[in-house]
Amino acid sequence: MSALTFTLKSKPAFKLNCSRLTLNGLTGLSIAQINKLPFASSKNSPKVADFFEVSGDDTQNIIFKNSNNQLDFIGYKMVSGHITIEGGCGDFLGANMQGGSIVCTSNAGDRVGDLMRRGLILIDDNAGDYCGSRMLAGTIGVHGKVGKYAGFGMKRGTILLTNSPILHATMQDCGTHNLPFLKLLFNAIKPLKSKISTLDSTRVQRYGGDIACNGNGEILIFKC
Amino acid sequence: MLINGIQIDDTFAEAFNMRATRVIITALNLKWAYHAANAMTGFATSVIGCGVEAGIERELMADETPDGRPGIAVLLFAMGSKVLMQQLETRMGQCILTCPTAAAFAGIDSEDQINLGKHLRYFGDGYQTSKLIPNSNGKRIRYWRIPVMDGEFLVQETTGMVRAIGGGNFLILATSQQAALFAAETAVEAMKQVPNVIMPFPGGVVRSGSKVGSKYPSMFASTNDAFCPTLKGLVQTELSDDIESVMEIVIDGLNFDDIAKAMKVGMEAICALGEKSGVKRISAGNYGGKLGPHHFKLHEILK
Repeated sequence: MSALTFTLKSKPAFKLNCSRLTLNGLTGLSIAQINKLPFASSKNSPKVADFFEVSGDDTQNIIFKNSNNQLDFIGYKMVSGHITIEGGCGDFLGANMQGGSIVCTSNAGDRVGDLMRRGLILIDDNAGDYCGSRMLAGTIGVHGKVGKYAGFGMKRGTILLTNSPILHATMQDCGTHNLPFLKLLFNAIKPLKSKISTLDSTRVQRYGGDIACNGNGEILIFKC
Repeated sequence: MLINGIQIDDTFAEAFNMRATRVIITALNLKWAYHAANAMTGFATSVIGCGVEAGIERELMADETPDGRPGIAVLLFAMGSKVLMQQLETRMGQCILTCPTAAAFAGIDSEDQINLGKHLRYFGDGYQTSKLIPNSNGKRIRYWRIPVMDGEFLVQETTGMVRAIGGGNFLILATSQQAALFAAETAVEAMKQVPNVIMPFPGGVVRSGSKVGSKYPSMFASTNDAFCPTLKGLVQTELSDDIESVMEIVIDGLNFDDIAKAMKVGMEAICALGEKSGVKRISAGNYGGKLGPHHFKLHEILK
C-alpha cells in the first residue's frame, strides 16, 4: 500500500476546510469517491478534485504535497494514523485531534491543536497565535517560533518549543529541570521525519498552566 | 549418581504454581538503582511470611532500559494475583517512589496487567500528569509523571503478570558449615547468570529449610528436623554421620525450563568443586509429590 497523497494543484484563492481529509472520513472510499468529496455541505461546494490530485490508498498514512496556508483544519478529529504536510498549512491544524500524529515541514497557522485530546503534532518551522489553545492533552512540538498566547486555556498536554515565546500572565514559570519522560518521548518520535525528532535533551524551562482554567498543561522550552 | 565424588540423591524438588511480574527500575546510576531494587526486594524471602518472594534478576545497561539510564530487573512472585498486586503497589510506594532519581517500568509483556503506577499517581495530589507514548511496536503506553521533591517520578501505569513456578530447590550436605556455605555461594554466583529466575533468600541461600506442620498448633511450618545436623540421633534423620551442615538454595522462575537450567548450573558448579570441598551429597526438598505439581528430578536435570 502507498500513502494516500493529496497534491495541491494551485494555491486556492480562499481558505479550504480540509477536516474531511483524515482517516475517519476516508476509510473505505475509492479515489473516485474521494475526488467527489465536497469541502462543505453547501450545494455548490468545491470538490476535492477541484484542488487536489489524489493518489495512493493507505488512509493510515496521508500526505499533503504543495501544501500552503490556505488549507485549514488538516487532521481535524483524527483518531489514528499519520499525516505528513509537505509545506505549510493554515489554521486549526490537528484541532480536536483524538490520536495519531501529524508532521508539518513548514509553517502552521493559528490555533494549532485547538481542543486536542490525544496525539502528536510536530511543526518544523513556525506556528501562529494561540498554539495549543484549549488543549485537553497530547503533545505539540514547534521547532521554530510560536505567536502570541501559546497554551491559552490549556488544561493538560505538553507544548515543546525551542524558542522562548511571549507568554500570557497565566502561564507560570516553574524553573529549569531535567524531565526523564522526554527521553521516552524522543525515542518514540525518532522515526518521524521532523526537526523536533532530532532533539535529545531532557533539560527544559517549564511553564505550567493555563492556571486561568486550573490547567495542568505545560510549555517546555529546550535549553540546548 | 556420583559426580566428582559427590552423591546426587535420586529425589526431586517439588514446586508450586505462582504468579509473577518483572519490574525494571532505573536511576541516575547503578548505585541508586541498587538502592531502590534492594529496598523493593527486601523482606521478600518467602510467601509464608512476606507475601511475595522477590529478588534481583540482573543488572541492565543503559541501552537496555526505556529511559536510557542504568537499571535493575526485579522479579516478584506470589501465590495469587491479588497478593501480587497488593505487594507490588505497596513496595512501589514505599521503596521506588521514595528512592532518589528512581523510575519504574514494566519488565514483562502479558495480557494480564497489574498496577504499577496507576494508583501511585494520586500521591501527586492533582499535579500528576500522564503521557501516552508509543513503544517500539506502536502500542501506546501510559506513563505517569508524579512531582516529587527531587524532580519528577516517572512510572509506567501497569506491568504484565504471568504464570510462574516457585519452590525449585536443592540441598547441599557438607562436612562443615564453611564448606556448605562456600559451595552454596559458588552455586548462587553461577545461577545468577540464568535469566528469568531468582533465588529469594539472603544471598540466595536458606539455612532454615522447613517441613509442613509443627507440634505447636499455631505454626503451619517448622524446622526440617530430618536435615538438622544437631538432631542426628534424636529424630529420623536424613543425614549420615559425617554431615555437619546443610544449606538450601530455593529458585523461583518464570517457567519450568529456566528453573531446571538454574538448578543444573548450580549443582554442576558444586560438583566442579569436588569431594575435597567437603560437600558429600546434593539432595532436594519435597512433600512426597502430593502438594506441588512441578517435580524437578535431580538425576534427570543432571543427565
